[in-house]
Amino acid sequence: MRRQLRSRRAPAFPYGYRYRLDDQDEVNQNYLADEEEEAEEAQVLVVPDLEEEEEKEEEERSQGQPIGNAWWQKLQIMIEYLWDPERRISLAQTGQSWSLILFIYFFFYASLAAVITLCMYMLFLTISPYMPTFTERVKTPGVMIRPFAHSLNFNFNVSEPDTWQHYVISLNGFLQGYNDSLQEEMNVDCPPGQYFIQDGNEDEDKKACQFKRSFLKNCSGLEDPTFGYATGQPCILLKMNRIVGFRPELGDPVKVSCKVQRGDEDDIRSINYYPESASFDLRYYPYYGKLTHVNYTSPLVAMHFTDVVKNQAVPVQCQLKGKGIINDVISDHFVGRVIFTLNIET
Amino acid sequence: MSRKTLEIYSVELDGTKDTKQTDQEDDKKYNDLDLKKSHQKEELKRELDLDDHKLTSEELEQKYGTNIITGLSSARAAEHLARDGPNTLSPPKQTPEIIKFLKQMVGGFSILLWIGAVLCWIAYGIQYVNDKSASLDSVYLGVVLALVVILTGIFAYYQEAKSTNIMASFSKMIPQEALVIRDSEKKVIPAEQLVVGDIVEIKGGDQIPADIRLLSSQGCKVDNSSLTGESEPQPRSAEFTHENPLETKNIGFYSTTCLEGTATGVVINTGDRTVIGRIASLASGVGSEKTPIATEIEHFVHIVAGVAVSVGLLFFIIAVSLKYQVLDSIIFLIGIIVANVPEGLLATVTVTLSLTAKRMAKKNCLVKNLEAVETLGSTSIICSDKTGTLTQNRMAVAHLWFDNQIFMADTSENQLNQAFDQSSGTWASLSKIIALCNRAEFRPGQENIPIMKKVVVGDASETALLKFSEVILGDVMEIRKRNRKVAEIPFNSTNKFQLSIHETEDPEDKHFLVVMKGAPERILERCSTIMINGQEQPLGKSNATAFHTAYMELGGLGERVLGFCHLYLPEDEFPESYPFDVDAMNFPTSNLCFVGLLSMIDPPRSTVPDAVAKCRSAGIKVIMVTGDHPITAKAVAKSVGVISASSETVEDIARRCSIAVEQVNKRDARAAVVTGMELKDMAPEQLDEILANYSEIVFARTSPQQKLIIVEGCQRQDAVVAVTGDGVNDSPALKKADIGIAMGIAGSDAAKNAADMVLLDDNFASIVTGVEEGRLIFDNLKKTIAYTLTKNIAELCPFLIYIIVGLPLPIGTITLLFIDLGTDIIPSIALAYEKAESDIMNRKPRHKKKDRLVNHQLAIYSYLHIGLMQALGAFLVYFTVYAQQGFWPTSLINLRVRWEKDELNDVEDSYGQEWTRYQRKYLEWTGYTAFFVGIMVQQIADLIIRKTRRNSIFQQGLFRNKVIWVGIASQIIIALILSYGLGSVTALSFTMLR
Repeated sequence: MRRQLRSRRAPAFPYGYRYRLDDQDEVNQNYLADEEEEAEEAQVLVVPDLEEEEEKEEEERSQGQPIGNAWWQKLQIMIEYLWDPERRISLAQTGQSWSLILFIYFFFYASLAAVITLCMYMLFLTISPYMPTFTERVKTPGVMIRPFAHSLNFNFNVSEPDTWQHYVISLNGFLQGYNDSLQEEMNVDCPPGQYFIQDGNEDEDKKACQFKRSFLKNCSGLEDPTFGYATGQPCILLKMNRIVGFRPELGDPVKVSCKVQRGDEDDIRSINYYPESASFDLRYYPYYGKLTHVNYTSPLVAMHFTDVVKNQAVPVQCQLKGKGIINDVISDHFVGRVIFTLNIET
Repeated sequence: MSRKTLEIYSVELDGTKDTKQTDQEDDKKYNDLDLKKSHQKEELKRELDLDDHKLTSEELEQKYGTNIITGLSSARAAEHLARDGPNTLSPPKQTPEIIKFLKQMVGGFSILLWIGAVLCWIAYGIQYVNDKSASLDSVYLGVVLALVVILTGIFAYYQEAKSTNIMASFSKMIPQEALVIRDSEKKVIPAEQLVVGDIVEIKGGDQIPADIRLLSSQGCKVDNSSLTGESEPQPRSAEFTHENPLETKNIGFYSTTCLEGTATGVVINTGDRTVIGRIASLASGVGSEKTPIATEIEHFVHIVAGVAVSVGLLFFIIAVSLKYQVLDSIIFLIGIIVANVPEGLLATVTVTLSLTAKRMAKKNCLVKNLEAVETLGSTSIICSDKTGTLTQNRMAVAHLWFDNQIFMADTSENQLNQAFDQSSGTWASLSKIIALCNRAEFRPGQENIPIMKKVVVGDASETALLKFSEVILGDVMEIRKRNRKVAEIPFNSTNKFQLSIHETEDPEDKHFLVVMKGAPERILERCSTIMINGQEQPLGKSNATAFHTAYMELGGLGERVLGFCHLYLPEDEFPESYPFDVDAMNFPTSNLCFVGLLSMIDPPRSTVPDAVAKCRSAGIKVIMVTGDHPITAKAVAKSVGVISASSETVEDIARRCSIAVEQVNKRDARAAVVTGMELKDMAPEQLDEILANYSEIVFARTSPQQKLIIVEGCQRQDAVVAVTGDGVNDSPALKKADIGIAMGIAGSDAAKNAADMVLLDDNFASIVTGVEEGRLIFDNLKKTIAYTLTKNIAELCPFLIYIIVGLPLPIGTITLLFIDLGTDIIPSIALAYEKAESDIMNRKPRHKKKDRLVNHQLAIYSYLHIGLMQALGAFLVYFTVYAQQGFWPTSLINLRVRWEKDELNDVEDSYGQEWTRYQRKYLEWTGYTAFFVGIMVQQIADLIIRKTRRNSIFQQGLFRNKVIWVGIASQIIIALILSYGLGSVTALSFTMLR
């Protein structure tokens, strides 16, 4: 196509002083053709060919037209390149070659998409929807606390409800799922102190054990709707990350213990844990996965900091303790432990 | 006249104008030129207002304040030295090393990467201001980017320096000394201390230490071939013979050699003001052209940088409008730039080129400038010097004529194959004359050296005759001993013959033998008989006609013809004790017996015709440009095939058809011989026409300036021009050419300095090898680039998808660098070892404006076909890893924000499991590694795809290129080390895969 274009154009633009080795041009074009690098579609490809344009411009210039005209002509050539009404050519391709190009590309990409879809399908055939293929990345559970509002620093002023109101709202929201009525309706009351193992097929729906909001006593928000924030005795709930198939080892429930991370041990003075055992009961394990274990509610341990030192930042580290629990990974501060700061002003 | 000739040697950078100009126009023209140029020109012109050759000795003495007998006084000399400076050529201006180094640091992609690095640091700065605990990731990235730039810069600089160092050894000049008369004493002083007005003495073998005007001379001959290209020795005397200082006999030029005789002269110009010095400065004034490969790479860099910057900015805008933070958007921008820029490619290209350069050096092509490796491959016109390049730069016997027959002699380098009929009695006589009537001798102590390599004392034609007879007759010295020489008249320009009288071999035979050689017509005048088949016959009209025909024919071949005759003196008139007196000539020098003719030529190198034919089949036009005479030039051109056997010049056609030259249709002629004089009166358009219309062109009698014009003319045809040459006169053209090729043995330092490539064996055939290598490297570079570009899409897509779809980042920026600079380097170099796919010497040279290194076919094929597949493949691996760990592809969409939040440590996956930040990060790294391995494995496949461009892989052979397999092995090993060996180094973010 390009060749045609050139040879058609050549007589229309008598070269000024610019001589060209005509035979050489031709020879090289033959060579180009023979060079034809890539698959056939490449030959008919249409990327706006800058070089071609440049050449045209050059030819244009060599005519020695006044500059004002040259711009206009350039524009015209540009427009003609985009759409040449005379030959019904756009971007140096006829409608036919355009449709061919589009067809080839459509075909190529469609088959590519088909292959990829097939591969993805095969991938899903190998993946169980109930049990992750590999679990080594999350073998040991991480720990998170509630309320969580973007930050692990609890800064609030007891006398200014605005500074702690959002904690209360967050906790209330979080505990909605633990409401006694809801739990009693959805979940079963299973015997404490032992795993709640449900054999059967993978795809059977599993039952979940109740964890009632009332288990949290003073931190349930039932008696004190401000979770102690109004009195400078904040409640913080601790939650162990769910892991499919995780069981605390040897029937020993995982315990929670908090202390000052850095500084004076006495800054906290006293913590009340709810449930009082400060542990996650075995009956909440194992977890069978989102698909079948629909109503599973993560067990919680509430820490009630009743007499923490005021007007200073107290870094608190809460760790999980139990057999097989790792809580001292240097690179990950949330595996088996959580660190947060309490800074309560009065 | 003088002025006009001088024009040729004046510095005129726009050579095309030079030809138009006439003397009258001079003044007008100066006004047009810009100030600097005209200043330069005027300065040079003033210096060349050389009229010293017209002056008498007395005038010279006066002009230079010297005395011919006593020389300059030391004080005066010191004064002059202080005024004019030492008598050396000022070396060409060198770019300071630090500038070269800095250029490497900012050239190509480096600037993009610098921008990336600086953006990284700025981003960190902003982060740090906002949050003191900001992660150092972007600082690391910036440092890595800077390191990459610096290391590749150092590498490229080292490569360049290495190839420059090879040449440094060439420019070492042997310190010269000159014998000078100062304070009435003869002193030997270093040549650079010579000053204008010094009286110097030169003798055979010396290099002339400055431009000198000869005052007296004894048989002095100089070799001007390095200046004018004439291979014949030029006699020098004290007489003023020509208006043109270059043609007159009483001037000797700096750096030419005195072959024989002695001479005394006064120094008239020193250092840069000598003729050679001016040509050298002409050379340094000529800007060298950018190499085609440099243009190609620049083009490629522009494409890639354009894509990188535009995609980067586009997605920056998209990211900002998607409400990403500007800071994050900057990080994306950096990622996109890094993904787009093939960091390792320029280093790879450098290595590839230097590998080829090494390979070529083994084949005696020493490449000074690495990029020149490819230039030779795209060469479409070779302008070759004749003397020393196409020819052997020595005289050799080419034809013999005796018994009314022309015989051909072997002119090849060893001359062992002398196939003419040696049984005739005439040959016996002729060979005796050749051996005896010759003053040249082998230098003693060369018994074990092949005859052709022995050093001879004597001029070029005598040397040729000596070697010729030594080859055929055996020990010539022994023959001369047996035929004792009793008298001798050496050759001089008035007699135009050389004569000697010998006793005969046979002790019984008391005859004396007179042997004589010289200009054929003079010899014939002195003969009354002619020897045919060993019998003396009276010299009749028919014999004389035969002689003339043969003489004309040999002369027409551009050969120097000598006639030979002899005479046995009657025993009674010249008894054994006869006192021969050379001055009185008391012996007959006429009525001799004519024996034969012998013609000599500077023979073409035996490998040249084949090489020229190869060039032609490779679509390369070979043009001969020489300072020698048109007839000689044409003869050599015909014998080497620069003018092929079947083609004719306009003059040939005119002669054949017996019509006037003007009547011949110029289109019928394929060949043309153009002389310097014709060229001078030619407008550039006419030159263009000649270059375009004739396929076989010889330029004869050209000056250095005209060589430059010719080269420029060729370049106007969009041709890539290679120029070969050895002399100082060639150096401007060598510099101007796209690739200058100097001769390693015969080449002058000036030529070697100006050239891009040096042929160590002075063999034109080496150029063909060079062309082949150059074309191969272009093909292979295409493969390398296609290979490298392919993965760009696979590297770029992760960032685009990350921004738009919000997946956790599939591959990190640093990991990308490990692909670009780790696993992919060796395989892409390995592609340089790929063999040619077809006979690359049978196709036309590429057109430098049309056949680009990176054209849109290549880009589209790499980006949209293979690249896309690669990206999809890598994403498949990425999704697999995430899905197997619990994050199904659907859950990944728009996960990015929560995924990357440090405080969020209970992000839920598709199974309801909750992940801490670090666990997610580790998974992300696993994803990086998987994506990396995905690309790596597909690059192996890509490597095998890229092995061939046209052939099928089975035609090309999967195992022929062993280096490819080394490359594949290296890829796998590097990947294994990265993922299993360094898996614990968190900064690299590699993890083990299972």
